[in-house]
Amino acid sequence: MEDLSKCVHCGLCVNACPTYAITGLEVESPRGRIHLARSIEEGRIPLTPAVQTHWELCLQCRACEAVCPSGVPYGRIMEHARAQLDAGAPAGRSGRRLRKLLLRQVVARPRVLSGVLAPVRLYANSPVRGLVRRTGLLRLLGRMGMAEMQLPKCIGTPVRPGKGLAKPESAATTAILFTGCVMGELFGEVHRATARVLARSGVTAEATAGQGCCGALHAHDGDIDFARTLARKNIDALGGGDEPIVVNSAGCGAAMKEYGELLSGDATYRDTAKAFAARVQDVTEFLAQLAPLPGGVFPHRVAYQDACHLAHAQRIRTQPRALLGALQGCELVETAGADMCCGAAGIYSIVQPAMSEALRARKAEQFARHRPDVIATANPGCQMQYNAATREAGIPARVMHVVEVIDEAQRAAGL
Amino acid sequence: MPTRRELVAGLAAIVGEKNVLWRPEDLIVYEFDGTVETQRPHAVVFPDGAGEVASVVRLCNQWKMPVTPRGAGTGLSGGSVPHRRGVVVATARMRRILEIDPVNRIAVVEPGVPNIQLSEAVAQHGLFYAPDPSSQKACTIGGNVAENAGGPHCLALGVTTNHVLGMEVVTAGGEVVWLGGRVAETPGYDLRGAFIGSEGTLGIVTKVVARLMPMPETVATLLAIFETVEEASLAVSSIIAAGMIPAAMEMMDRLTLQAAEAGLQCGYPPDAGAVLLVELDGIAEEVESQVARARAECLEHGATEIRLAIDAEERELLWKGRKGAIGSLGRIMPNYYILDGVVPRSKLVEVMAKVNAISARYDLPVANVFHAGDGNLHPLLLFDDRVPGAHAKVLEAGAAMMRACIDAGGALSGEHGIGFEKQQFMPWLYSEADLENMARLRPVFGNQGDFNPCKLLPGGTGCGEMAQQASAVRAAGPDAYV
Repeated sequence: MEDLSKCVHCGLCVNACPTYAITGLEVESPRGRIHLARSIEEGRIPLTPAVQTHWELCLQCRACEAVCPSGVPYGRIMEHARAQLDAGAPAGRSGRRLRKLLLRQVVARPRVLSGVLAPVRLYANSPVRGLVRRTGLLRLLGRMGMAEMQLPKCIGTPVRPGKGLAKPESAATTAILFTGCVMGELFGEVHRATARVLARSGVTAEATAGQGCCGALHAHDGDIDFARTLARKNIDALGGGDEPIVVNSAGCGAAMKEYGELLSGDATYRDTAKAFAARVQDVTEFLAQLAPLPGGVFPHRVAYQDACHLAHAQRIRTQPRALLGALQGCELVETAGADMCCGAAGIYSIVQPAMSEALRARKAEQFARHRPDVIATANPGCQMQYNAATREAGIPARVMHVVEVIDEAQRAAGL
Repeated sequence: MPTRRELVAGLAAIVGEKNVLWRPEDLIVYEFDGTVETQRPHAVVFPDGAGEVASVVRLCNQWKMPVTPRGAGTGLSGGSVPHRRGVVVATARMRRILEIDPVNRIAVVEPGVPNIQLSEAVAQHGLFYAPDPSSQKACTIGGNVAENAGGPHCLALGVTTNHVLGMEVVTAGGEVVWLGGRVAETPGYDLRGAFIGSEGTLGIVTKVVARLMPMPETVATLLAIFETVEEASLAVSSIIAAGMIPAAMEMMDRLTLQAAEAGLQCGYPPDAGAVLLVELDGIAEEVESQVARARAECLEHGATEIRLAIDAEERELLWKGRKGAIGSLGRIMPNYYILDGVVPRSKLVEVMAKVNAISARYDLPVANVFHAGDGNLHPLLLFDDRVPGAHAKVLEAGAAMMRACIDAGGALSGEHGIGFEKQQFMPWLYSEADLENMARLRPVFGNQGDFNPCKLLPGGTGCGEMAQQASAVRAAGPDAYV
């Protein structure tokens, strides 16, 4: 309630909100959603299916939080609003229950997740895929077809906790690499690139065993208790030392930087959670401190797209641009709305396909206009969404994580 | 009056079902704007284009259903709060930039276009749209026209009425007409001028011909730090007296600085008594000499430190704090009541002292952030609406502050409009005959009393909380302030 009363409804947030930009409706704006929560809290309206719809359409991108002068913790408000739905949603309960089950029993369980994703990887790398794409089978598959468009061209082998990674010739320092859930399974290549880039700057990346899913998806869905369970697990696994914890998935990084807040009511973990959170750094933030990096050549036009949880939640905007800009020959292309959500937003593109597609179309339109060679970002969900957006824009651009760009540039420079 | 079902069906027949809101939980987010007053409408409708707007207005008139226009709902005088309920007509679907003519330096836009998007769209031609309210990232051009909005940069360039050449409007009677045109001067009565600042009581604007300005060659922003508001106020007067017209001249007091710095980290000194933000623009040599003169005036009046921002990034940071200052006060207290008084520059010191005395007497903290250059004060009373009696006490203290402005020879509003909250004060400024004459303009535009009722002029019938408001004014009265 304290959180809610901080909003003075000045309205400065509304145009930063992607769903307001699309709909123009106050009910689909941060100010409107907060007012709904407040009105329910004050007993002026009941929690109805319509309220649920408005809350569920929120991307939780936190663009509003970054522009709010009053410091309204919108992300936290929305997680608690979703938790209210978790306790008793007025509509679509079975859907919510299924989602919770999948998030708890599949996403948060490394073995189950790898079992589920193995055939996906197999398919993405097989010649069958080209055939499927050419025959137009995708259009018949509806949502599944959309998901297919989001898959990378080729998926490398997974990087899981405890696995060995590239090491520097002479190690000065060590950092822990956070491997995550989907990130490790489908974006092993980003992890390997991260380790190589760190190694070239004399840092050993350790994918320490025992770590798991960060719990961001669970918290965003309102399953805050389970997010706490996952946070405790990661703190147990990585909390012992004082090395920096490097994260290359913006959503995970944002969530882990807030472990202190998440576990503030837990007497046993409160202090360790705070200490843990202070060690978490996004990979671009970490590299910017190591800069200048040992060089790199990348003679391409690169459109950097802010990941919401990097720009808005972690307030990191300049570092990735500076890293890319420092590469020899790299031309940064600023597209309109680069810091507006692409519509991936965790599991959002699956549960809210229409709004997700509307937001992706805005990106595709910009890509078609500027025709960059490479689209760079810092979060797996966004990468997947941009795979689809480049196809939609009809341009041959490659979609890469910032560290992949740096890695390739350094290799090209013979490093 | 129609039943709700009839109302919704009637509106939906014009704009389509998905462009009408009627569920209580949808309407509740249209009960407020940026102020403390609230009232839930019966329905919210989103027409597209003058034709649909006119049909909606005519339908409502037929039913004698009150109509309240709404842009982004960032107003600071309750202008878009539907005090007698009825139908809120929102401009959210009309947000296209229709034409940009860089040669003639005009743009034609729809009313729902956010203020900043117009400046962004014309930046590639080296042009900008001058009025820049603090809410410019959200507020709409249509709302700006209704309120005759100002902003920090209106000191040298003037307010909305100086930057809108013409517009298409749907009158309160439901007719589509053009007022003004595409050139600066049109012969005959200036109905365009009458409409701008009419606070949505004469009609709804559906197209705006905006005048665009060339961007200045050089811009420099000074941040002068003072120990007291008095010293800063004297510096303002002497800068103007020295013959300079800065692009903007803004003041913030200690409480505001603390909130803004906490919220926005823009490099303000949180323990200073007051800061003055002075922006100078023009050709490079001229700006250089003006900076030197402004700096000298500030030092003369006791500035302890002066910072100069030259590059765009530094300037943006200084302005970010000023533009977000009001919202950042939410960090101190959950509610604020923002006033908008104008006083002659020479009375700044005197009136500020009265404002502080009233704040002390009512035991309500006051933060001051204002357009010092044109004597436009914005005292913000901070309070918690959940405390019983707080609301009434704030209205009383606010009335006393407005009275202080009037007594100093000032006016009731610099840019936020009279709206609902200040209409009862209008007799302080105008005689009964003056007010009656103004009221005669309403029927000319077809307003028979149901078009944005309870706004601008006192004496509307059936306006809910009028009694409470009136009693607060009576309590404050002419002699109630110190």
